[in-house]
Amino acid sequence: MSGIVIGNTLRASWKQILYWGLGLGALGLYIDFIASSPDIISGYAELFKTMPPALLQAFGASDVAMFTTSEGWIVSIFVSEAAIFLSVFAVMAGLNITANDEQSGVMDVILSLPISRAAYLLERWIGYALIGLAIILLTAAITVGGMIGMNIDAPGDVIFASILNLYPGALLVMTVTSLLATVMRRRALAIGLSTAFVIVSYLFNAIGAAAGGAAADLMESLSYFSYTHGEAFVQGTYDPANTIVLLLAVLIGVGLSLKMFVSRDIGI
Amino acid sequence: MASASIIEMRGLSKSYGSGAKQTVALSNLNLSVNRGEIFGYLGPNGAGKTTTIRLLLDLIRPSQGGATIFGMDVRADSVEIHRRIGFFPAELSLWEGRAGKQIIHYVASVRGDTRGIVKHADELAERLDLDTSKKVRDLSSGNKRKLGLVIAMMHSPELLILDEPTGGLDPLVQQSFHSMMDEYRDRGKTVFLSSHVLSEVQAICDRVGILRDGELKAVESVEKIMNVEFSWIDVTFRDAVPAGMQQKLGRMPSITDVSANGKVLRMRMVGDFDPLLRAISDGYVESLHIEEPTLEEIFLAYYSGDKEKR
Repeated sequence: MSGIVIGNTLRASWKQILYWGLGLGALGLYIDFIASSPDIISGYAELFKTMPPALLQAFGASDVAMFTTSEGWIVSIFVSEAAIFLSVFAVMAGLNITANDEQSGVMDVILSLPISRAAYLLERWIGYALIGLAIILLTAAITVGGMIGMNIDAPGDVIFASILNLYPGALLVMTVTSLLATVMRRRALAIGLSTAFVIVSYLFNAIGAAAGGAAADLMESLSYFSYTHGEAFVQGTYDPANTIVLLLAVLIGVGLSLKMFVSRDIGI
Repeated sequence: MASASIIEMRGLSKSYGSGAKQTVALSNLNLSVNRGEIFGYLGPNGAGKTTTIRLLLDLIRPSQGGATIFGMDVRADSVEIHRRIGFFPAELSLWEGRAGKQIIHYVASVRGDTRGIVKHADELAERLDLDTSKKVRDLSSGNKRKLGLVIAMMHSPELLILDEPTGGLDPLVQQSFHSMMDEYRDRGKTVFLSSHVLSEVQAICDRVGILRDGELKAVESVEKIMNVEFSWIDVTFRDAVPAGMQQKLGRMPSITDVSANGKVLRMRMVGDFDPLLRAISDGYVESLHIEEPTLEEIFLAYYSGDKEKR
């Protein structure tokens, strides 16, 4: 691998980093603003107490106590919303790895150059993984910067870590999309299936966490959202095994994508 | 001694689907292209030309058989082969939001010699009258194809694989392109060019292979293929077709398939024009239209002639 494709991917996508980072950062600032007012927080906390657990989970928390502190508020509301927006980005990035170029025909030109299919896919994947990381870092920096600017009494490192914890989930969605596009060869089908993957994961997480029993536990364990809960950082229960599970799934996905992309016909 | 053959295809086949739905795109292709020649790969649309090229570039994988370029397997050694070849696809697609020079820099950097390649790309762009500062989306289709040619040729590859390269180019640029191909041959480089335009192949190629329905029907020198050439002639008379003219022309050995439509006589002619001009001088000829035969017609004529010889 020469890194040329990575460099080219980053050069072509710096606006994407800026727009997504600023957009999510703006959302973070808005949540910071709400979190800076104890009255608003306590008002919402009362409201959340009346909600059923499934609905509460949809707001990103399993415990209503999370909504009584500034850091709990930011992590529950912002991180759960950012996870959804990042999933949208990840689907788009997954399509950009190979599917869009293959559908447009640019791939014929690329693969006539002295670069192997495997190296190309890997460099594209790394390029978009770095773009995702840059977006998350920019988002975290703006959100934590906003907290400091608004004098919110909350630990910045906890907020930063909980936002950064979204990264493995975003990588997984990007990798699943790339794999689906490689297998299906049809961009529209890959978009549909990837979107279904995100929505089903979200529902499994919300329903699984709220309901009890083995089936609910299984549903929750099948959702990538359940491995990226930000509240674990606030509650001090973060388990690195969750991150490792996601990263292992990412590795398997990348391996399968490589195997498919290297062995099949291009552009048919 | 090094082989004179640059491209070798042995039993190369490609089919899609299976069972009753199986479509054979290319069947048992055996073909060699020699160093220093411009080889025209002729065939009507859908004959299998692009399939062959995509197999050579390892974009698709053969169902049977294989191919080598520079003595290396097109699949196992694709990266090393691609270092030494330039490719122009029939359906050219480039990054729409990028300027031509950005694409040239990117491709040059993947090829590993940015400075030298970009300098040559600038020379080629000037020769083809191409503005590389414009974004691809702002280029006309002809200028996009010029950019594609620059990308294919800018590293002075040993082998150029061109799939229908001149469609959409204006005649002046086509002329420049033909000169470039002659220069390539003069420098001992090899060109594999697919086309369905007979005149283009006639102008620049040394040998041609004729492909039809996925099968290679003939490999001949351009001269031999062109020996079977004929023309369709439309003679338009001012008033009406003179009486007995159609029968008179029909009896001439160099003319066949004579048909009348109002004031127009249409016929198929081989050889010199003089006998025809003398024969139609009885009437007032308003216009004479000469039409190049289609590739399919040349192909059929070539084979009917071949059968007669046998």
